[in-house]
This record gives sequence, structure tokens and C-alpha cells, in this order.
Amino acid sequence: MSIATRLSTAADAGITRIGQIAFLPAAGEWRHRLCHVEDAADAENTGSLECHDGPAAARDLSTWAEDGHYRFTKGELSLKRGWLMRLRSPEELLNALDGFYPAAVSLWLAEKEGRLEIQHLRAKLNRQTGMYRFARDLSDAGAQKLVREVCGPGNCCVKKILWQLDESTPLEDSPATRYDGVVGDDVPRSTAIPLLCREACNHFVAEARKAAKEEKRATA
Amino acid sequence: MPFTPKPHAALLIVGHGSTENPDSSTPYFEHADELRKRGLFAEVHCCFWKEEPSMREAAYMIEAEEVYVVPDFISEGYFTQEVIPRELELNGPSTERGGKLWHYTLPVGVHPSMTGLLLQRAQEVAPGVDPAATTLIVVGHGTGLNQNSTKAIKDQVELIKQSGAGYAAVLDCYMEEQPFLAGWDQMAPTPNVVVVPFFIADGLHSYQDIPVLLGIESEVGEAASQREIFRHNPHHLRGKTLYYSSAIGTGRNIADVILDQVADFDSSRS
Repeated sequence: MSIATRLSTAADAGITRIGQIAFLPAAGEWRHRLCHVEDAADAENTGSLECHDGPAAARDLSTWAEDGHYRFTKGELSLKRGWLMRLRSPEELLNALDGFYPAAVSLWLAEKEGRLEIQHLRAKLNRQTGMYRFARDLSDAGAQKLVREVCGPGNCCVKKILWQLDESTPLEDSPATRYDGVVGDDVPRSTAIPLLCREACNHFVAEARKAAKEEKRATA
Repeated sequence: MPFTPKPHAALLIVGHGSTENPDSSTPYFEHADELRKRGLFAEVHCCFWKEEPSMREAAYMIEAEEVYVVPDFISEGYFTQEVIPRELELNGPSTERGGKLWHYTLPVGVHPSMTGLLLQRAQEVAPGVDPAATTLIVVGHGTGLNQNSTKAIKDQVELIKQSGAGYAAVLDCYMEEQPFLAGWDQMAPTPNVVVVPFFIADGLHSYQDIPVLLGIESEVGEAASQREIFRHNPHHLRGKTLYYSSAIGTGRNIADVILDQVADFDSSRS
């Protein structure tokens, strides 16, 4: 079964959330409808939301936050409100969600099927080259601190961290490492697609490079 | 030559992306949209170095068992020879991994068909301007760290000179190595000058840094998509008439170059 079909089947079976997006009930030819979770209660009021037919607007809607800043990590807790997206097919649903949360559906399915390969932080940092090779020098304590300062909902990222420092060193307990990738405490977890972080993102690597350089300066 | 459809293969377009400017990834999505519409591949995906999905994440999005990886980059160099093979775990032109066969093509910018796109862009940006009274400058980033980064541009300059397009002069210039773009008016022997940035995207370089080097603007401006007033050609500067184009990669016709690279890859194997 294709990724789109598995997603659509899951939606029909009761998935109602991914990140800050709510799945609304089908309506006529619109097999799938999406909106911001905070707009879900008003979504049936005609005209209250800007309507987009088809998945094409997903990338634009997810590019800028309400305050105008560029959302270069899509797991950021800043998705714009005020839109309703109507989709005709499983393929359109997948395309839309890949626009809002790139690869999130595929990573979720891979994890459910035991196919998701996790890359721990040391392996990620150790494979960096060029200007990012300095990130390798970050201490374990510095890395743990950086997770608290860069990751998690407190820092606006709502992905569930799957990686450790290395094979035998878990990340220290913090709101960032406790977060399960589902926005909203009231949402039954079985009805949500969690946003997964299978390896540290390049934003984290860039911050690791800065922190490693800072550590070196401090000990020089 | 028409492209033979590949209904069982996926196309993965790899771009750089940016954490600062969303315009940087727009062309990649447009190239992917264009190719998706043509229905030549079972799937078309984008992935990035600096944005999402990452190269390793994108691998999970692909269902086809055969994948053509095309670097939507302007030259061969650090990214195409080191970063992309490392991130996608490719060990040669074709790699069997994870139950899939991955084909790795050359980057779009080194394909000879880029010459036609450059000439087309130069004519679009300066319509009706006599090439015999015009210098065409192809501008790249340039870096002292990697000679390959300028090779694609030098090759294009030679191809344009040989094309019979009739430009009085065709020059390569760079932001960060000689010959420096900042001296464009001294290098151009003609009254008219057309400058085409040999970049994929209208990002920080083509809309912020290069206009300053040319003298169109005195300081770095906002990102392109946030500008209220777009630049208007021509610019009368330093005793010349200057026509400044958006980045060559912003054209949807780059989709054809992506197909050319896939076709050339197949030809080289057969």
C-alpha cells in the first residue's frame, strides 16, 4: 500500500492531528480537509477561513509565521492561522502534509513499521565536514545543554527527539527530551501523528558549531 | 530529444536551501512542480542541506525502487562531490542501498544546455539591445577553496563566445575571487552590459549582495520576496547601461536541464 493510501486509511480510522494541524471530517467531494488546530471550532462557519482547494498553498502557508518571521524549521510552534485546505484524494493529503511538515508522515509510518533508522548526535556531528567540522568538538555537557536550549516546545520546536548523545548515552531529562511530538495535552495520543526527529537538524548542528567554538575560546 | 518517461522511478532534486531566506528554496520546488506536472516520473521530491526535508529524511518519502538524484546545483564542488554523496550514502554513479537503486547525476549547472538558457535570459532581460554593443557578464560566487566552483562558469563563457550570439564581449566575474564583479564597468568595453547571476536561486547573493557590488544599491536590502519595489532595468550607472537579471536557476526551464542530466546519465551507462 502506498504512503498516501496508508495515511488516508489512518485518517479515516480516526487520526485528527499532526503538529498544529487538525483533520476535519470529509465534506462532499472533499475527502480530506485541514485547518489550524485553533481554527477547528470555527472551520464550518463559511467565510471565516481563507479557503485553499488542493495542496499547492501548503508551502506558502508554512513559510512565514504570523509575526512575519521565516519558519526555516517546520516543526516550529508558529504555524499561521486563518486557512482551510480542501483536498480530493489521499495523494493531495500527503502532498499537503509534506508541504506543512516535510517527510513527517513517511517518518511516522517508518517508525510504526520498525524501519526508521535513528542517528545519534555524535555520529551526526562526527560526519560533518567543511565549516561544520568544528561541531565535532562539542563536549558531552555542552551537547546536553544545547538540547535544552535549542530543542523542545520551550524553544518552539514540537518534534519528538528520538536520538541520544550516542548509543549508550541518553539525553538528560528535560522538557525537550520529554516532549512526545504531539501538540496539545488534551489530544488522545492514538489520534495524532507525532512529529519525529530522527537526527539532529542542521540548525542544531550550526548551533553546535557555535557552542564548540565558544567552549574552545573559554578554555584557551 | 524527447525524454523517455520513467513511470517506475523517482526523481530526487537536491538543493541547498537557507535558514535565512525562503526564496532560496523556491526554484527547487518550482522545478519539482514543473516535472510533476509532466508526469514523467512515478514520484518527484525535493530535499535540502539547510531546510526540510533533509536528504536522509527524503529517503523515507520515496517509494520507487529506482531513484535519480539530481543536484540542482550550479557547479561541481564541495556539495556535489562530498556532502550529497555522504548524506545520501552514495558510493558511485549507481548505489544499491536500502532495497533501492540510486543513480547520481551531474549537477544541472554543468550541462551544456545551460548555454541556451543563459542566452535566452540575456535576451529577455535586454530586449532589442544590440549584442554587438553589449558585454554579457556571467557572475558566480567564486571561492579560493575550490577551483571547480568557477569551472562551470568559465565553460559557459567559452560556449557563449563560440555560439555566434554576437556579444562584443563575454566575461566571467565573481563575488569573492578575481576577476571581481565590483570592477564590472572597467572590464566591460561596451556601453551596454548584461549581468546574469549563475546561481540557482534569488537568495542573498543575487538580490542582496550583487546589487551592492554593481552599485545598483548602496547597502544590502531585504530578501526578494519582501521587497515592495522590484528592480527595473536598465540602470544607468558608471557611464554604462546595465541590465541585471534574476538568477539563471529561477526559470522553470531548468526542469529541462534536470531531464537532460537524467538522460545523459542513462546514455553514459548504456
